Amino acid sequence: MNQISRRVPLVDGVAKVTGALRFTADLHVEGSLHGALVLSPRAHARVASIDATAALAVEGVHAVFWHENTPSRYYNSSIWFAGQEALADERMFPPVVRHIGDRVAAVVAETEEIARHAARLVVVEYVDLPAIFDPEAALVHAGPVMRDDGIPAFMNPVADESFTHGDLDAGFAAADLVVETHVTMPRSHHCAIEPHACIAKPEPDGRILILSPCQSVFAVQAVVVQALGVPQDQIRVVKTPIGGSFGGKAEPILDPLCAFFALALGRPVMIRYDRHETFTATRTRSSVVGRMRIALSSDGRILARDTETLVDIGAYCTGGNYLPSSMLQRLVRLYDVPAERYTGRAVYTNTVPAGAFRGYGSPQIHTIAEITLDISARRLGVDPVEMRLRNLIEPNAIEPWQGLNVGNARGRECLIRGADAFGWQGRRRADAGRGRWRRGAGVASATHINGCYPGFHEETTATLRLLPDGRAELVCALHDLGCGADTTLAQIAGETLGLRACDIAIVPADTDSCPYDLGTRASRMTYICGEAIRRAGIALAEAIRAAAVLELNTEASGLRLEAGAVRRPDGSGLALSDLAARLAARGEELPAATEIYRAQANPGSYAAHFAEVEVDRLTGRVRVTDYLAAHDVGRAINPMLVEGQIHGGIQIGIGYALYEDVAIDRVTGRMRGDSFSRYTLVNASEMPPMRVLLIEEGEPTGPFGAKAVGEIATIPVAAAVVNAVNDALGTELTDLPLVPERILAAVS
Amino acid sequence: MNALAVSAPVDMAELRATLAAEAGPVHFVAGGTDMLIAGRPLPETGLLIDLARVAGMAFISTDGTDVRIGGATTVAALAADCRLRVRIPALCEAAAQCGSVQIRNRATIGGNIANAAPAADLMPVLVAAGTRLALLKHDGTQYEAALCEYLPNSGHLITEVILPERGLLPRSAFVKLGSRQDMTISRLNLALLAEFQSNHFGVVRVAAGALGPVSSRLHRAEVALAGRKLGAATLRDFIAALIDEVDTAIPGRNSQLHKRRAVAGLGLDLIAQAMGLSPRDRLFEEAAG
Repeated sequence: MNQISRRVPLVDGVAKVTGALRFTADLHVEGSLHGALVLSPRAHARVASIDATAALAVEGVHAVFWHENTPSRYYNSSIWFAGQEALADERMFPPVVRHIGDRVAAVVAETEEIARHAARLVVVEYVDLPAIFDPEAALVHAGPVMRDDGIPAFMNPVADESFTHGDLDAGFAAADLVVETHVTMPRSHHCAIEPHACIAKPEPDGRILILSPCQSVFAVQAVVVQALGVPQDQIRVVKTPIGGSFGGKAEPILDPLCAFFALALGRPVMIRYDRHETFTATRTRSSVVGRMRIALSSDGRILARDTETLVDIGAYCTGGNYLPSSMLQRLVRLYDVPAERYTGRAVYTNTVPAGAFRGYGSPQIHTIAEITLDISARRLGVDPVEMRLRNLIEPNAIEPWQGLNVGNARGRECLIRGADAFGWQGRRRADAGRGRWRRGAGVASATHINGCYPGFHEETTATLRLLPDGRAELVCALHDLGCGADTTLAQIAGETLGLRACDIAIVPADTDSCPYDLGTRASRMTYICGEAIRRAGIALAEAIRAAAVLELNTEASGLRLEAGAVRRPDGSGLALSDLAARLAARGEELPAATEIYRAQANPGSYAAHFAEVEVDRLTGRVRVTDYLAAHDVGRAINPMLVEGQIHGGIQIGIGYALYEDVAIDRVTGRMRGDSFSRYTLVNASEMPPMRVLLIEEGEPTGPFGAKAVGEIATIPVAAAVVNAVNDALGTELTDLPLVPERILAAVS
Repeated sequence: MNALAVSAPVDMAELRATLAAEAGPVHFVAGGTDMLIAGRPLPETGLLIDLARVAGMAFISTDGTDVRIGGATTVAALAADCRLRVRIPALCEAAAQCGSVQIRNRATIGGNIANAAPAADLMPVLVAAGTRLALLKHDGTQYEAALCEYLPNSGHLITEVILPERGLLPRSAFVKLGSRQDMTISRLNLALLAEFQSNHFGVVRVAAGALGPVSSRLHRAEVALAGRKLGAATLRDFIAALIDEVDTAIPGRNSQLHKRRAVAGLGLDLIAQAMGLSPRDRLFEEAAG
């Protein structure tokens, strides 16, 4: 192995740290105008009138847009491809605003400063409508007709997923203990360093080029086409470098606006949100209320489980109606539960829309389940690790909902080896203390998917082509979100071609030049795109060897690719650049290979996380003092990047457990955590020492045995931390985040 | 786009002349950490005077009887000044816990006072120390006033912060409670200055921030310590007094329940820091128990 399991530095690392890499907001596009939004201060209101006179009078203002002079087409910003069925309830500028931060109008001007100044001069009259901020209240609210075409668009629940497996009644009847919990999880925000930004530019041929830090150029194209009602081929989308997304940029928010403004004005238009706008006018993780009833035998076996979830998807559907089923999909592939019932509902409220966020429902459902399991273990007097071991799913088990094989599932090894490395037994036996500070240890398991199979045509196309300089070009519509996917995938390509990762020239995702791909979502990059690239690499290697036969006077089967050369068995050979030159001299095309890979499986990635905490019973502050994450990754293509993903996942997860909440006021609908001074993230000094333990048993269907790690890294964290706090205090806290007020209320 | 003029005088004489010449409203900016980045709209008219380049406005003088600090002295400079730490360690501690490294590098002591945030970290220490301010009016008149008499909206410039010798008691401490350990806005902060000899407290001054619109002295907490022996019983009385102060300051507020308990932990941390002890010392565990 040349590239696999190597700690290869990020292929774009130097460009990033030297500032050579330009993010969207830093791009200078000749002749660009700038847009600024007028966002609703009302939670639910009809826009009675808009007076743009004063704004238009400002020198440098080109136009003011609102619902009366923009397309009235409805769209859904979460669609992935043209024609995808989804409840289309968004408009560029709705005549009825549905949440504080909804789009009311936009000013386009010569500079951002002028646009923002003029936006403050737009006079809007609102007629307030009744608003709902509580998902429980929303559940019984069929809602008024919101759309002016008479179609009810505010009916709750938006989604209602139910599933039953096995004999639930028998399971509960046989139980030695039944535990029931009510778990609430907050809305957290992605907090990517780069706020949302977009540039749209009219091209000479009448098309619009969109430069977007996105997770799928094809999704952006599909949404813009739906919003503008233009032909698909009129919209070209190119991905720009992303300064973090975590799902926050999965849905194009500014792109339809920019595209329309550019089309209307015939000038490039850039919009960039500031931090406040990114908080209040983009997406959050959905808040979820979960009720779980679990039937257990005295030895800790789960006999039956009954779960209800209520998902607050906010003011627009986006992809929120998938969340109840997504949570179900992840719930049923962790433990072997003989009888299961699940009911998941999603409801609209007059709050900022929910959207994708690292794990897409997995953190919520596993937090509910893992906290419940821990409370059960304590009440039964069974060690939490032992209890999980008694219930964990086995390799190649078939999960009961979709009937999918979970693959080489190694959750058991994560628990056993993780517990050993963490010193679990010793820590659990240790006294929590009797004074002000109490110590506790917690564990949580988790699983997550690898791609979208069996849904959404889970396939991708990779093309690898030998370049004249001996490197290889990779075309696969890749969307690196800053996590190192380009590096990992370049390592896979390099491995097959005897090249280094830095020798792989990755073509940025571009709807014009790349074949369709679902984009970066559902933990599919390494597992799906990686396998397509591996296959394309093998095919290109074969083509190179065939092309080298004449030059090296050796049968192709005797040639190997190594260190940028094609070599005979005796080691002699030809550099790929020389081979390319000779082929060019002969007038032959340079070798290339394209592979279409359609997934045949969706194995689970597994993890077990261990946390130690110290809780101050007087101030309510929790400090995570030690942390170990054990992950079944199949095989780590780049252990350094895998560890980086896990470290970042731990940071997000601790925040989810202890601090993060955009805190929408249940009376006013106003977001309290709408800036970094009001929204508490875990910063460096809060982070515990972290150890990562990789379980590399290989997934047969993954490239070089690899499985995903990006999303699962954050999924078990919150439950592990909460369970540790409950262990320290002897409490059964289930409302996240565990802010000091909640801790103190519990211990008082 | 707006009529705001900006001036950056290089010394006090130019500053005085600039002030005297300006008929309209005058605004001051030093570090700009509140004015420029908090989403506050900049003033649109008048004169904005940049104090960052005024020679002689950033200094820490600890050689005299009083400690004198220039109004444009950065919080980072306060945190790093060894001689200041000898005279009043609590001020250095408060400065060290104020904002982030970047904020501390820009923010000034004058700005911390003038911005008048209820949670300002330097304020409890300054209040407990009986601080006086040297102020400059627009007409060039200079005068001194007690910190508690200073009106942030007066427009008078804080040229010096004076910590009188009589207020600089030998033991001092500052502690804060935020949503996380650092880079956090105080939800409660406490400062203590005290005499302490033969295991007994002498004169004690305690002040708190984020319990009201301005930092203020906690007289009942002071009484609970003054003249008493350091021991679990005294600490328990001190905690009870602190809780009483919280109940009086924010009755019925959502945060009351949290703060009345948290102030006990914070109060013990305060005493431990002032005594150079660990809050995990048995003495404090006994008091907390």
